[in-house]
Parts: sequence; C-alpha cells; structure tokens
Amino acid sequence: MKRFFSSDFFYDFMRSPVALVSFLIVLFLILSAVFAGIIAPTNPFDAASLNLMNGFTPPMEPNLFTGDVFWMGTDDQGRDLFSAILYGLRISLFVGAMAVALATVMGVLLGLIAGYMGGWLDNLIMRFADIQMTFPSILVAMLIFGVARGILPPELRDEMAITVLIVSIGLSEWVPFARTVRGSTLVEKEKEYIAAARLIGLNRWQIMIRHILPNVLNPVLVIATITLALAIIAEATLSFLGVGAPRTEPSLGTLIRVGQDFLFSGEWWILLFPASTLLALALSVNLFGDWLRDKLNPRLK
Amino acid sequence: MSFITAKNLTRRYDLSDPWIVRQLTFRPKRFLTAVNDVSFSVEKGTTYALVGESGSGKSTIAKMAVGLLAPSAGTITLDNHNLNDPNLSPQNQQAMRRRIQMVFQSPYASLNPRWRVGDILAEPIQSFDLIQGAKNQAKRVDELLEQVGLSPRDAKKYPHEFSGGQRQRISIARALSSQPEVIICDEPTSALDVSVQAQVLNLLKSLQKEFSLTYLFITHDLAVVSSVANRIGVLNKGALVEEASPKDIFTNPKQDYTRMLLNAAPKML
Amino acid sequence: MTQPLLEVKNISVEFKTRGGALKAVDDLSIDVQPGEILGLVGESGAGKSMMGAAILGLIDPPGRLSKGEIWFKGRRIDQNPETLRGCEISMIFQDPLVSLNPLKKIGDQLVETILRHKQMSRAQAIDRARKGLIEVGIDPERLNAYPHTFSGGMRQRVVIALALAPEPSLIIADEPTTALDVSVQAQILELLKKLCRGRGTSIILITHDMGVISETADRVGVLYAGRLAEIGSTNQVLRSSKHPYTQGLVASTPKIDPASFGQSLYQIPGSMPKLDAIPTGCAFHPRCTREIEKCSQERPPMMKNTAACWLLEETRQGI
Repeated sequence: MKRFFSSDFFYDFMRSPVALVSFLIVLFLILSAVFAGIIAPTNPFDAASLNLMNGFTPPMEPNLFTGDVFWMGTDDQGRDLFSAILYGLRISLFVGAMAVALATVMGVLLGLIAGYMGGWLDNLIMRFADIQMTFPSILVAMLIFGVARGILPPELRDEMAITVLIVSIGLSEWVPFARTVRGSTLVEKEKEYIAAARLIGLNRWQIMIRHILPNVLNPVLVIATITLALAIIAEATLSFLGVGAPRTEPSLGTLIRVGQDFLFSGEWWILLFPASTLLALALSVNLFGDWLRDKLNPRLK
Repeated sequence: MSFITAKNLTRRYDLSDPWIVRQLTFRPKRFLTAVNDVSFSVEKGTTYALVGESGSGKSTIAKMAVGLLAPSAGTITLDNHNLNDPNLSPQNQQAMRRRIQMVFQSPYASLNPRWRVGDILAEPIQSFDLIQGAKNQAKRVDELLEQVGLSPRDAKKYPHEFSGGQRQRISIARALSSQPEVIICDEPTSALDVSVQAQVLNLLKSLQKEFSLTYLFITHDLAVVSSVANRIGVLNKGALVEEASPKDIFTNPKQDYTRMLLNAAPKML
Repeated sequence: MTQPLLEVKNISVEFKTRGGALKAVDDLSIDVQPGEILGLVGESGAGKSMMGAAILGLIDPPGRLSKGEIWFKGRRIDQNPETLRGCEISMIFQDPLVSLNPLKKIGDQLVETILRHKQMSRAQAIDRARKGLIEVGIDPERLNAYPHTFSGGMRQRVVIALALAPEPSLIIADEPTTALDVSVQAQILELLKKLCRGRGTSIILITHDMGVISETADRVGVLYAGRLAEIGSTNQVLRSSKHPYTQGLVASTPKIDPASFGQSLYQIPGSMPKLDAIPTGCAFHPRCTREIEKCSQERPPMMKNTAACWLLEETRQGI
C-alpha cells in the first residue's frame, strides 16, 4: 500500500486536475449510492409509501395538497426525485459494475485461450467476436435481453430484470478484452520464460494462468474503466427504451424516460435531475478512464 | 561414451500455401529445411559448441535437444533416452526433463517479470517434487543464489531490479535447481556487455567443474567459443560442415565456410 | 593541427526525475577531425548513444543538454541542430528494420532525401539515387523495391546510401552492425570505411564491440558512466591502454588465440554503476584494482590527453 502512495502513478494523479476531479465525482456518486438508504428521505421503491397527490411537485416548493417539500421535486406518481435518483444510481452502478466484471472474466479467459492454444479454437473464438462486433452492442444487449425475457416465466420477469440486464450487457462487451488479451498472449507466448516453464513440465493451463495471465492484465484495467462507462450508458439506454429497469424500481434511465414524457408540459425537473446525474457519472468515469489509459500507456513499453 | 547423441537430426518446416491456393495455382508444397541430417556426439562432462550464423539451425537443434521441438527425422538422445519419443509416459518425461535444462539468450525475456526471483527458482523444485516443505525449498533457493554469485536477499526482488548479467545468473540458477546433468546454453552471453560476458562465462566454467555438467553451447561468436569449448561444430544453413577441436578449427580450418567465419570475426590487434 | 570538424566541449546530458537530476553524460569533451573514423566504445549505460543523440539534438524530454557547447565547422550548433540534421551530419541507426519506411519503395526514400537537401530536378535526383545504390553494392534496378524484400545486411546498405545521399561531412553510426551476422558485419564495415575514405567523410562509430573498433577506427574514445575514460589512437588504446577500465575491457574480450584456449577470461569485478549511484571521485574506483586514495575523492581530469586517471598524474613520464 505504501509503495502505491509513493509511486510515480500516484504522484501524477495528484497533479492532474482532470484525474482528481473525475475521480472525486465518481467517488462521491458511489458513496451516495451506497449510503442511499441513510441519506434518502423516502424509499422510492416502496409503492405503498407513495402519495399520488404529491405528484408533479416542483423542486423546493411546497406541494399544493400535502405541503411536503421535495428537494428535486416529484415525478408523476409522487415519487421523491432525490430519493429516486439515489436509488437509481445504485442500480446504474451495480448493473454497470457487475456487467463489466462478467465481460472482463469472460473476455480475459477467452482471449487467453485463443492466444495460447491457437489453431481452430482461436479461429472459432475470434470469428465469433468479429460477428458480434458487427452489431452495435446495444442491439446485442437487447437481443439477449429479449431472448431471456421470452424464456423466463412472466412472474420472474420483473424480479430477474436486473440479472438479465447484467448478463445481456456483460455478454455484449467481452470482445475488446478478449482481443487485447489475445494480442498480449501471442507476444508473451514467444518469450523464453514460457519455454522455461514448459521445460519444467507445466501443463497448458498452469502456464496460462500462472505465467501469462499476470503479464497480460495491464491494459485490462483501462479497458474495464472505459467499459464501465459504456455499461452504465447501456443500462440507461435499455431502461430508457423500456426494456431495462421497471418503473417500480427505476434506474436513472427509466427516470429519464418518464421525464421525457413530461418535459414539454412544464415539469422539467423530472428529466433534468436524473439526466444531469447520469451525465456526471458517465462523463467522470470516461474521463478517468481516458486519463488512466494515457498514464499507463507509455509505461507499458 | 557419448552422452548426448544426435543422429541424422532433421527439422523441416512446411511453408506451403493453403491447399485451396495450391490446387488453384498448381504450386507444389514448399519446405524449409532448418536442420539437415546433423549428427554429432558429446562426451559427458565436456562442452560442445555449435557455431553458426543466423539461419544456420543452431537454435532449432537446441530446442530439439531439450524437447521443445520434435525432429522431422532423426533423433537426439540423452544417455540413450529420447526426449521426443511420443510413447514416453508423463512420469518418464518429467524424469527426463529433470536431467536436461536450458539457459536462454535474452536476459529480459527469460524470467517472468511478475514473479519474484525466489518463486522463479522454487518453481522447478516444486514441479519436479524435489524438496518438500516451503522452508526447505527456501533454503535450497538461497543455496542456488549463492552458487551463482548472488545473495539470498535477492530472492525477494523482481527481475527488473537486476542488470542483464545478474539476470543471466538467475537463469543459470534456475537451470541448476533441478540438479541436471546437461545444460543447453543458447547464446547465453550474446546480449551481454563484454565485461559481464566474461563473468558469466567464467561462472559457467566453474559450475561445470563443480557439478560435472555437460554443456551444449550455442553461439555465433567464434571467439567466445575458444575459451569454453572442448569441441566445436560449425553449422551452415542447417548442415554440419566441420567438426574439430578448437585448436584445429582455429589453426587449420578445412572448410571454406569455416575459413570465412574466422576471417570475418573482428580481430583485436 | 587542422581545425577539428566537430568539437564537443564539456557537454552534460541530464534527465530530470523525481529523485533529482541524473547525468547520462557528464562533462564530456571530444573532437572529430575531418576525414577520420572516431570510435566511441563503452558498455550499456555508458552514455555513448546519448552522445550521438546530443550532437544532433535528438534528446527528448525529460532529457536535455544541460551544459556545454557543440561546434561544427567553426559554428556553434547546439542551440539549433535541426538545420544540419540529415544534411551536414547524418545518422545510421542500429536496426535496419525500423530505419526504413516499410511502406515506401527505397528509391522514393532515397530521392526524397536527396531532394530535401540539394537543389536539383527529380530526374537528376533519381540518377543520383541509382549511383548511390551502385556505390553500396546494390543493383540499381532495385530502386523500385520495398524494404522487406531485402535481407538485413542489404537493408543496412540502403541505410548507408540514404545517409550518404546528402553528402554529409559527418556520419554518426550508432551500432550499425550489431544486429547483423558476423560475415555481413565485416562487409558493411569495409563498405563504410571505403566510402568515407573516398569522400573524406568523418564517422563517429558507436559500438560496444572492441573488435569492430580495432578493425575500423582511427582513434577511439572509451566511455564509462557518461565520462570519457580514455582517448587515443586505436593502436595506442588497445595495445597499451592507460586507463584501468580500458585494460580490463581489453583483457576480458575473448580472442581467437590458440594461447588462450581453455583459459578463464579476465573479468572486471562488479558492474557499471547505475545513473543514480555514481561513485564520488572517479566513477570506476570501486572496481579498480589499482586505486589510490585520491580516486575516491576527486574526479580525475583528462591527463595528458590520454586517460582520466590519477595514476597518470603521479607516475613518472613516458608510461
């Protein structure tokens, strides 16, 4: 730990305004999401606690009927937007992080196998990757989502929505990991320390996991950060299109969808606040990922 | 008694175009013969040097000797055992591997940059199941480090903390860890500076005496070979063109190619 | 004595790091006479490539030329070396694979270089390019070939042709034959020697190989830890070296010599210090078998224009 704080990496991090600010924003949003239960004045997912009369209350103004004040106003069903955003952030971050984790594990493994074993297996995996990459990842996610929903019995659909979201986004994002890891694997495979490992009788899996894996992980962190931004936006998009998080447990994307309907009738806050939060999150993750990529790149050489 | 014997060793690479292309263009198959019918024998406890330029096949022979590559024809055996025999059981294969190890050319690519030196040296000990128990293994690692002129404190460090010459010592220590009888040295000093080269060559020599090792020494540098080899084989484009003692090769080269190599080597005043 | 072609006066190349400034080259002075081949020999980390890069202003930040002057043909050039680059001073690098643009025919690369530095019509430039290829022993019909169709040695010849095309007064060759086979190496060195003698072009030949120096250079400078340890004619430096480091280097170079069969090589104890751990006084003193007290205290200046060693100061004349 101490070695990290005295490293060149940390030094540059403290001196880069972009890195610092974007990291702090992300950290702030993560903490808000984690402590949503404590910070939020209401629980927006609990339908019983909603009071329809509270609907359409503008921010910081007392409601005409109940007199309640809401920091960011309420939506059409009387949900406190501030709480909804905090809880929605949870969904966005959770789905994003889990999807990236899935994509990373799947992509790294497939990349390792394709690179080290070569031959027809390599061809198979890479052609699969090529085919998948010809479709926009959102479409792929929607396809997987649709198929999953079709398979699941109707009672489970809403419950499993989050899981299906994670699986569909994760499966649509594994290719960049696989390609990069495969490339690095191809390079490492030729190095003499791998020959030395073969000379002491290690089998293929031992070599792949013990020797090659640690040396190809460098770019993975950068790809994961950038994929996180993509996953968050993908989740928001799917929810926005109505195929993601349901109304009863809205994520930021769902809220934006609702807000969009009411924008031109004057209830601007239902769109503005969720959209700004999503913007802040995605932008900060993106910027931090970019900075990471530039920082880690020359050192890779 | 010959300890390492190469008999009609041959390695061919298939460089032909894919079948479809060949059918459509009527081109024949194309092969590259990297090693062509090479035979030599190495006595136990001696150093046999294979000298050649790039493309001569010397590295290919080294790989076949150690079992990394299978010959297309012919055999190379250690004490009459063939490492490349496809019928060998896994246990016999492991037993064979223990007896013959390799030191590689590049000090930078021959050690896993993410592993500590101690772990790199312990791995063969664990894989060959030579010593049980982490403490005993660590003691052996310390012993190996000292044998190559490094210190037990170096076990905790990573390869990049060492210079090229020191890394080659670590590679040598790794090769020694299985207590082999043969070490194949594939251009072990080509990437090193002159003064470091001298240290590593002297180390190899003293280890040979101490442990009765047999070396197959691959190099392109005739001068290096004169201080280490008992016998020299000259390779040209995959074929062994001349074989003799260093004295004979240097004072009375028989083949034109050998003469050319000798003349081309930069001479000190 | 004629005016030197290139005078390097007390240059230092520094790299700024978090821990302080590291000196890759430390107060080095050397000069090159017109028409001579000067060898710069040293092991890795000695600073010889830095020297070559410094002359042409090719040092990238965080490195910089922190002090000293470089004079070429009587004019100071260290402040704006770009004007001379490629034109009066050209460079040959070690790896011919990356020195040539793989996407351009070699003829195009040659013509482009010629036209950049000389005024003439394209047809004249093509003619010049053909002549250049003949000079380096390549069939001029291969003007339209791509670099990947040549072998390593042939590519290096093309690189030499490229370096000679603008008719420079000085060529800096940084390990030009290290990546080549021994037989090809000999040919390339012969070629360089012949062409440069013929045109009176000077060469700075940077290498770690004493044998190459011995066969090619007129004078040689030995670098250690960014400093010049010894300088003199090749004969002098190799046969009767004055600096203990040079003596050690020469002794540890393997030779094809029947008398040395089976003998252990002489080895200099220790290793070259890293840039952040250069000893005080003479950089070589911890490894020197003949060090005296002064060696660890004060850095020796170049004595008698031969070697930077305190032993030369106290000894009697003529050793």
